[in-house]
Amino acid sequence: MRRPAVPSALRALRRCDRLFVVAALGLLAMGVLFIYSAGRQSPTLALLWRRQLGWALAAIAAFVAVVATGYRRILASAAALYAIAAAVLGLTLIFGVKINGARCWLNLFGVQLQPSEFAKVATILLAARMLARPDLPADRWSTLLKAAAVVGLPFGLIVLQPDLGTAMVLLPVTLAMLLVAGMRARHLAALTALGLLLLPPAWFVLDEYQRERIRVFLDPWRDPLGSGWNKIQSELAIGSGGLWGKGWLAGTQNTLGYLPRPVAPTDFIFSVVAEETGFVGSSLLILLFAVLVVRGVAAAVEAPDREGMLLATGLTALVFSHAFVNLAMTIGLLPITGLPLPLVSYGGSFLLAIGISLGLIQSVRAHRADQE
Amino acid sequence: MRAAARVWRVTLVMAALLAAFAGLAFRLTRLHTTERDPVSKGPVSREVRIELPAERGRILDRRGTALALDVPMYRLNANPEGVVLDGLVEAYTALLGRRLGLDRTELERRLRQADRRQVYLASRLTREQVDHLRQLKLRHIWWEETPLRTYPLRELACHVVGFVNAERVGSAGIEMSFHRWLAGRPGVRVTVRNARRQEIADQRRVDVPPEPGATVELTIDTVVQTMVEDALDEAVRAHRPLGAWAIVLDVRTGEILAMASRPAFDPNEYGSSSLDGHLNRAIGYVYEPGSTFKAATIAAALDAGIVRADTPFDCEHGLWHYRGRPLRDFHPYGRLTVAGIVQKSSNIGAAKIAVMLGDAPLETYLRSFGFGQRTGIELPGEEAGILPSRRHWDALTVTRIAMGHSIAATALQMLSALGAIGNGGVRMKPSIVRRVRDARGRVLFEFSPTAVSTPLRPDTSRLMTELLVGVTAPDGTGRRAAVPGYRVAGKTGTAIKAGVGGYDHQRNIASFMGLIPADSPALGIIVVVDEPQPEHTGGVVAAPVFRQIAQELVRYLGIPPSAGAPAPAEPEPTAPPEGDTHADWPAI
Repeated sequence: MRRPAVPSALRALRRCDRLFVVAALGLLAMGVLFIYSAGRQSPTLALLWRRQLGWALAAIAAFVAVVATGYRRILASAAALYAIAAAVLGLTLIFGVKINGARCWLNLFGVQLQPSEFAKVATILLAARMLARPDLPADRWSTLLKAAAVVGLPFGLIVLQPDLGTAMVLLPVTLAMLLVAGMRARHLAALTALGLLLLPPAWFVLDEYQRERIRVFLDPWRDPLGSGWNKIQSELAIGSGGLWGKGWLAGTQNTLGYLPRPVAPTDFIFSVVAEETGFVGSSLLILLFAVLVVRGVAAAVEAPDREGMLLATGLTALVFSHAFVNLAMTIGLLPITGLPLPLVSYGGSFLLAIGISLGLIQSVRAHRADQE
Repeated sequence: MRAAARVWRVTLVMAALLAAFAGLAFRLTRLHTTERDPVSKGPVSREVRIELPAERGRILDRRGTALALDVPMYRLNANPEGVVLDGLVEAYTALLGRRLGLDRTELERRLRQADRRQVYLASRLTREQVDHLRQLKLRHIWWEETPLRTYPLRELACHVVGFVNAERVGSAGIEMSFHRWLAGRPGVRVTVRNARRQEIADQRRVDVPPEPGATVELTIDTVVQTMVEDALDEAVRAHRPLGAWAIVLDVRTGEILAMASRPAFDPNEYGSSSLDGHLNRAIGYVYEPGSTFKAATIAAALDAGIVRADTPFDCEHGLWHYRGRPLRDFHPYGRLTVAGIVQKSSNIGAAKIAVMLGDAPLETYLRSFGFGQRTGIELPGEEAGILPSRRHWDALTVTRIAMGHSIAATALQMLSALGAIGNGGVRMKPSIVRRVRDARGRVLFEFSPTAVSTPLRPDTSRLMTELLVGVTAPDGTGRRAAVPGYRVAGKTGTAIKAGVGGYDHQRNIASFMGLIPADSPALGIIVVVDEPQPEHTGGVVAAPVFRQIAQELVRYLGIPPSAGAPAPAEPEPTAPPEGDTHADWPAI
């Protein structure tokens, strides 16, 4: 018996990783709680937590549906999903709703969606499928080029929106998948060298606001009331939380609007959590993410097939990259980029996409061979 | 091999991921704990402490007229960033320039500072102007209430009232000496401000309202003060002096009804007046008083029993050599009684009396009269005058002090000494504050008459007052101080000023001080004129000012005329009659 039998939907759900699910639900709950705290003082954001709760339920439903469906069935239509995603990205560029200068939202029957979040999942699906093919070994340049083409199309479309941050996440994801697929060390070295070579000219390709973000990262006090504001106030919020925090709804940086209201429930939700729950709460949050990532990698290791392993690797890398970049930005380790924190930040499309991703990872785990 | 490679790779990935999280945790720990991190020095809370200004107490005269009070005024601010972004600079410049009469160039310059979020456009806006602006509902424009210290009577009693500086700290006069009572206590509000600097009212932790300052009521009567100042202004116009000052004192209680000094200033614009005008000469100008001082010298000799009113003295026909030094009289006299010496103001006579009295008793009397020490009036800047200790006197000093030289005093000291002569020999502490009441009406201070010393016996006091009445008689030096219908006791003074290298006979201080009514003295008035031109004697320059003040004062205060007083409204004699013609005072 080379391949284990496909588990039934119910059985698949039962074989999910309990710790993984608990960590995810814990993060979801934290998100709703602190979005409530961050939005409470503003009339326009006061009811945000309810919408987040709705999206969280939708994400849980998507998770269940994906696990029940099984990753193999979804992988089978990876090419179609990829095509649809690319097409929708193209449409977004034309018909999309422009918010904060980027055309990355699509209005679908009254619900605003961010297609790029789903496109990333579709891209990982197709890349996993492709890199799993025995005729495309990862230790060849030709394979790397093909992978680059698969990732490059959505990457380019997202950059055009422009949403560089979201697009950049695809790079570590691809790298992780290539590594697991069996990329040679010299390929890795060559790619790293290429990336380093591209860094200096990249400075001149960046928009002025992006360059300013990097300058502010190096010296936030160059403009404490302007471009340095978010970084400084975020660090003040986290630092002033102390060991146990100021208490839920009691963070002054948050409730008094020193953390800018529009970004507190989204990109800077971690600052709110850290201010109100202190070192203990923020460490717990990081711990929950560590659980998600470690158990995600475990799912990849235990995957019954190469496709599953690559898929779990890519999606875990996606969750990890988002979490890492977001956390690093709020505590001042990376320049400010508009990347949300998975499961915690407010945002429907992203929550749904993460729900699907976690479902796929757990589907891979549910198919693991050991207990057959 | 395949499986082994996979495990190796996965381990590598896992290690990388965990290292990344460890990095996050490390940075997080530092943010939360490290003291050296600038972030941890930042505010743990967003509490702010706001000081709420207290309303400053008023300064009133004895009848309740306000001399100093806070008037609510408004300061206009704008947010140029907003004004520029909304393209309102031209509109606002035109509107505010027209409505408030502000300089448009300056207004536009301030509104164009797009990098600023707050500039101030105008101060001292009235409530009406602000109400008008409120109706226009202008964006990016707001105002704050700033109480403005106002002195509605402007120059009147400016030296007594004083002023507050730009920080509202009392810097002169009563404003300075009673600052702590007038200032009140500012309130404190500990509250929270949001990122837009708006206060969150429901998070106030401490909210102590300010305590308004106490009201200070002066003994000054603005009506009397006006009389005095008008008379001084008239004298200043007529004689073009360097300065002129006057005080009206109730000799029975020590209350000061008026105190004025020229040059003066407007406390509302204290910054734009000359510093010379800020000096309250009545208490801050020390001068050699000259002949007015003879009142004290002769009263001392009478009290000590050395001389009597009718004791005759040889006045040496105007030139007396004492210990090799000449002493001159203004007019030469032969024999004069003590009464005549007072009336004619003979320097030689006064010197001889003082020599008879002796150094030690004279100094004792003068100290008892209050010379050489501050009266302790409730005003800043009082001078103590100069009365050297007897150890520093030479043989001539006593003859000089007798006529008011080699000694220096303030007008208030002179008047205080005269008050003792008129008040049965008891010197009252001069006072200018009648009552202090806090905002709730509780009395914090109430004036009560205080006797400081008793330099004279009551009978000497009566006698000396009668001798001084002779001065305002038709043949006295102070006849121009006579008030028709009233008996006035007084003394003229024409002091030569000390200059570089000795006394300068071209520069004089002319003065007159007197008591009215002489039978039962109620008021003491002193008038001093510094370097009058072209006339220079106290009898010509200062005595008429005294009369003008006294005449209006007795009418205003309803003081009954003296029985058997000289006939009212007599024309002035053109030349002083010679000789001692009056002998109607009792020779005790």
